[in-house]
Amino acid sequence: MSQLVPEAAAAEPEGTVKIRIDGLKKSFGELVVLDGIDTTVSQGEVVCVIGPSGSGKSTFLRCLNKLEDITGGKVVVDDFDLTDKKVDLDTVRQHIGMVFQHFNLFPHMTVIENVTMAPLLTKKMDKAAAEKKAIELLTQVGLAEKAHVMPSTLSGGQKQRVAIARALAMNPSIMLFDEATSALDPEMVGDVLEVLRELATGGMTMVVVTHEMGFAREVASRVLFMDGGHIVEDGPPAEIFDNPKHPRLQEFLSKVL
Amino acid sequence: MRTGRAIWLVQRLALLMVAVLVGVTGAATLFSPHANAEGENYVIATDTTFAPFEFQDAQGKFVGIDMDLIRDIGKDQGFTVDIKPLGFDAALQAVQANQVDGVIAGMSITDKRKQVFDFSDPYFESGVQMAVLATNNDVKSYEDLKGKRVAVKNGTEGATFADSIKDKYGFTTVSFTDSSSMYDEVKTGNSVAVFDDYPVLAYGITQGNGLKTVTPKEKGSSYGFAVNKGKNAELLTKFNAGLKHLRETGRYQEMIDGYLGQGASGDDNSFFGLVKSTFPILMQGLKMTVILTVISIAIALVLGVFFGLLRVSRSIVLRAIGTTFVDIFRGTPLLVQAFFIYFGIPAALGFQMSAFTAGIITLSLNAGAYMTEIVRGGIQSVDKGQMEASRSLGVGYLPTMRKVILPQAIRTMIPSYINQFVITLKDTSILSVIGIAELTQTGRIIIARNFQSFYMWLIIGIIYFIVIMALTKLSDRLEKRINK
Repeated sequence: MSQLVPEAAAAEPEGTVKIRIDGLKKSFGELVVLDGIDTTVSQGEVVCVIGPSGSGKSTFLRCLNKLEDITGGKVVVDDFDLTDKKVDLDTVRQHIGMVFQHFNLFPHMTVIENVTMAPLLTKKMDKAAAEKKAIELLTQVGLAEKAHVMPSTLSGGQKQRVAIARALAMNPSIMLFDEATSALDPEMVGDVLEVLRELATGGMTMVVVTHEMGFAREVASRVLFMDGGHIVEDGPPAEIFDNPKHPRLQEFLSKVL
Repeated sequence: MRTGRAIWLVQRLALLMVAVLVGVTGAATLFSPHANAEGENYVIATDTTFAPFEFQDAQGKFVGIDMDLIRDIGKDQGFTVDIKPLGFDAALQAVQANQVDGVIAGMSITDKRKQVFDFSDPYFESGVQMAVLATNNDVKSYEDLKGKRVAVKNGTEGATFADSIKDKYGFTTVSFTDSSSMYDEVKTGNSVAVFDDYPVLAYGITQGNGLKTVTPKEKGSSYGFAVNKGKNAELLTKFNAGLKHLRETGRYQEMIDGYLGQGASGDDNSFFGLVKSTFPILMQGLKMTVILTVISIAIALVLGVFFGLLRVSRSIVLRAIGTTFVDIFRGTPLLVQAFFIYFGIPAALGFQMSAFTAGIITLSLNAGAYMTEIVRGGIQSVDKGQMEASRSLGVGYLPTMRKVILPQAIRTMIPSYINQFVITLKDTSILSVIGIAELTQTGRIIIARNFQSFYMWLIIGIIYFIVIMALTKLSDRLEKRINK
């Protein structure tokens, strides 16, 4: 079931560095949210970011496609330096899909219009081809029969699966998930995580900010624990969850597990 | 008219050539009225509204003492006239520029005007007269005005006369810009008397303005028909001959009595009578009001979207441009904007603009400023996650605005937009000051003729109310549908 993952995303060899983050700093006025982040994300890696509220997880994620202005340091995605003013952000973003906590579907468009809008506007794709692709994606997230309804008639879980299909319609090679299941009723979470799991097995490079520890342990190739604007611990899930070294991580896990 | 004038010019040229050939004495005989037995056509300029001398009747035809007089003299002397209601100042300029043949506009014969015009014999003796409320039996002479207040009209002979005697008789004056306001002042009891031109006053009384005269009229100026100095001598001759003839036959007095005599008015001045007689003209005014509103609000929407986008821009320069536009047009009165655009700018830059154009520009810019804020509010009411979702897909800022943000913003804007439509519709009434014949100005013109200010303003108010209520109901229904 790896049709969800665009060919381009799976084609590159494992281990190629997709995102390089050097000394990333972000502050909102006086408030320092990210205080020097250094890490890399490689091709095919599924990096889960965990940590307490206000630790800077979401801001970190939003810096990776520059939805937030970067205060200091560097973020390089596929050889594009996001802090370089000459870089066309729209082009870079076409390779990075993002899924939001609150779905952010366009409420005035039908489901299929949500999915085809960006391909029609940014790629010179004809309408029939864009809709064919959209139907394929919607079928894979189990929502083909909802193609022509308005988003307001969907449940939260369905909305989030449409949002994932919308991001995938641009054939991204990286996907960012910002607490994609936090706003969902518990019974809806499973369906959405199933889609994420499928993407991960298909070889998609993913950065996932999440509170779902079970998911992180099962699917992640690496887990980052963030606290106070720093990456406090970085390792494979088994290490992080079974053998936490830093007292803050121990304390965090004792509360959430 | 144009061809008539052309023929007349050709005839005059031919006559001139003959005159040169046969000599000065021969020319004198050729210029006599008998030479024009075919029936000349003259273009005569006049004022737009100066009741009872010239004003539009309920059918929109120009009537009044001047109008009847010039037409009857024409009939008597064998010529026809085309009336051009240009407004007083414009009429005088048109004569001087030889664009028209003569002017008849209740114009006083003064020494200064004699330098640029040739006047006919006086056809009307004006003068200032005092009037009091018809039910007032206390004021019978100037002496009875002691300690009282008197209404006058700005810059008229009546005002000059009242000021010259107010110290002697111990009263004070208060100024108004038009006769009907002045009469209303007396009707409400704020002032006890008015001083106004005798014909205007006499006509107002015939129209039921509720006043009466108790003193004789003061000797005043004489009105004359005028042609450009040194031109159209034969027209002047015919006018004088015709006037003399009409006086002899009694037709002249009949005409004057028709406008100024007791019981001259046969008009039905009841509420429903007025509705019936003024409805066609008022509907034309309403049409102009609606045209002004629709064109202006459409332009305002374009301006509003443009400046609204500047207002939410991330560039400080673009934001400043948007803010400046809004501040200027929200921070000054519409009336001042109308005067500035209609009188100020053309005068400073030396070009001409029609009142209609100036009115559209004024309303568009003014409503555009408010629309800018409506658009800004609409854009800001859209969840910022919408912008982020679209941008994260690699869609640019402007395509995102067009496809994602504005379609959602417009939904929340629609009720405010209709509200602005209503405000702009009401604001068109302010454009009456630059003479656009929209609903309010139409009402003013009608009241200048019939002095029925209470009923007329009531009728006009009801018309505005019906149109605006219909729009408000439409807005409510749209709002409910959107919020469903």
